Amino acid sequence: MQKVGNIDIRSLTLGFKNFGSTKAVVEDFSFKFEAGSFTSIIGSSGCGKSTLLNAIGGHYKPLAGHIFLDGCEVKEPNASLGIVFQQHTLFPWKTVTENVRFGPMQRGASKAKANAVAAKYIEMVGLAGYGDYYPKMLSGGMQHRAEIARALANAPAVLLMDEPFGALDAQMRASLQSSLLDIWKETHLTIIFVTHDVEEAMYLSERIVVMSRDRGRICEVFALDEPFPRNKDKLFASEGGRDLKEKCIGCLA
Amino acid sequence: MNEIRAGVTDRGQGQAMSTATEGRHKVAMKPGRGAAWSLRVVRKVRWAALMASAASLIAGVGLWQWLTESHVHLVLDFSNIPTPVAVFEAFRAVVVTKTFWRDIYWSMYRILVAFGLAIVVGVSAGIAMGYSAILRLVIAPYVEMLRPIPAIAWVPMAILVWPTTEESIVSITFLGAVFPIALNTWEGVRRVPKELVKAARSLGANRMNVLFHVVVPYAIPSITVGMALGMGGAWFALLAGEMISGRFGIGYFTWESYQLIQYANIIVGMLTIGFLSSVSTGSIYYLKRKLVPWAE
Repeated sequence: MQKVGNIDIRSLTLGFKNFGSTKAVVEDFSFKFEAGSFTSIIGSSGCGKSTLLNAIGGHYKPLAGHIFLDGCEVKEPNASLGIVFQQHTLFPWKTVTENVRFGPMQRGASKAKANAVAAKYIEMVGLAGYGDYYPKMLSGGMQHRAEIARALANAPAVLLMDEPFGALDAQMRASLQSSLLDIWKETHLTIIFVTHDVEEAMYLSERIVVMSRDRGRICEVFALDEPFPRNKDKLFASEGGRDLKEKCIGCLA
Repeated sequence: MNEIRAGVTDRGQGQAMSTATEGRHKVAMKPGRGAAWSLRVVRKVRWAALMASAASLIAGVGLWQWLTESHVHLVLDFSNIPTPVAVFEAFRAVVVTKTFWRDIYWSMYRILVAFGLAIVVGVSAGIAMGYSAILRLVIAPYVEMLRPIPAIAWVPMAILVWPTTEESIVSITFLGAVFPIALNTWEGVRRVPKELVKAARSLGANRMNVLFHVVVPYAIPSITVGMALGMGGAWFALLAGEMISGRFGIGYFTWESYQLIQYANIIVGMLTIGFLSSVSTGSIYYLKRKLVPWAE
């Protein structure tokens, strides 16, 4: 039934051109993210995972290769490709509701309809009652929640997340992780989740792609068939879990 | 002074903390005894600060009275300077005349027209330079070339170019305000974080909507700084224009008082100029607080 949200990357090369010489960050990268899947990309810093995610979102022009969303090439940012950035990118001059309804209104929804959509997603991320707050009045975790709500309100086919929980304390991180899984279960969108935290990737995703520092090559792809909801303690204590974690860390080194 | 500052920061932190706690847990917090105590301290400190400033002012006026009354001539010549009492008398005499208010009206009118034009031109030019590489190449050379020329230096040209002195004064005032506004707008637009633009684009905004929903709002605090600076520049230029070529206006009033040897009126004019200029700058900051509550 689920057909939208297939990302197909074919021999993608990303990098910078500097006076004729090119420096490739990611070279000849090919991968398929299936509709409705949850995939984590891990890799040490500087391996190009963030660049890759931005490229999927249409924010970098590839030097070579193609990215397809359901068969259409991604050439520029697109409302179907929602992004949650590592930094706070809520518009400080808009309240939470105004931020969340921004996407629907840009796509031509009426204010009343956009407000209804915004209210729904604000509730979904657990921020009901904070609609009239400005971002600076919220804590860091709440701002991340609002940001996720803003990305979801546009009903994207794909949600790209660039280390969204990187700057949060452990407690806030755990609570946002489980919220994200609930949202995924409810909406069935394709999630591509970039992180440098192996445990986070294991807890959340169906597949883990390990990228190497050497021009962003894929080292290894691990599939996790542990059913959701997962229990962190059991997951990391089990034979298979420990094994996988060691393998991932081994790949990163 | 240190005490005052400590009092004020204390209060600031208290506010920040209470908003943070509200944000996280929405706990209704009762103001404790500590809060009431610190408020009382703040009030006391403020009262003391007010008294200190008032005492300093009174001492200053007293010194002025003494220097002028006793015709001190020590490097500076105080013999021609009116006493504070004489200035107050002159003010009382002048404030009931129609001409005084007419002069104020003309100055404010010129400021409003010139400053309004400067906002329109300066903000548009600044946004154009910040947002479009091509327009920057076209506009920036003019800004960089004309900006260092003080507005007063435009006076002869302005008189030659415009049919009436009225227009030349307004144009000089405009030139005094437009560059700080354009440059600060440019700076604000240039500093828009890439991530905010990317987020808006990913939410489906086109380049035009990014401009109006992201770039311009982000630049508004910077634009208001430019406006406050521009207001200072506008008054500076206005007074130069009025003194040199004006009819009516508070600058003209001040200069005419000198020529008519009404020395007390010079000081009345100066104080009025200071008052008007600080009121107009203050109203910009007031406008900013109303316009961008999120930036506070």
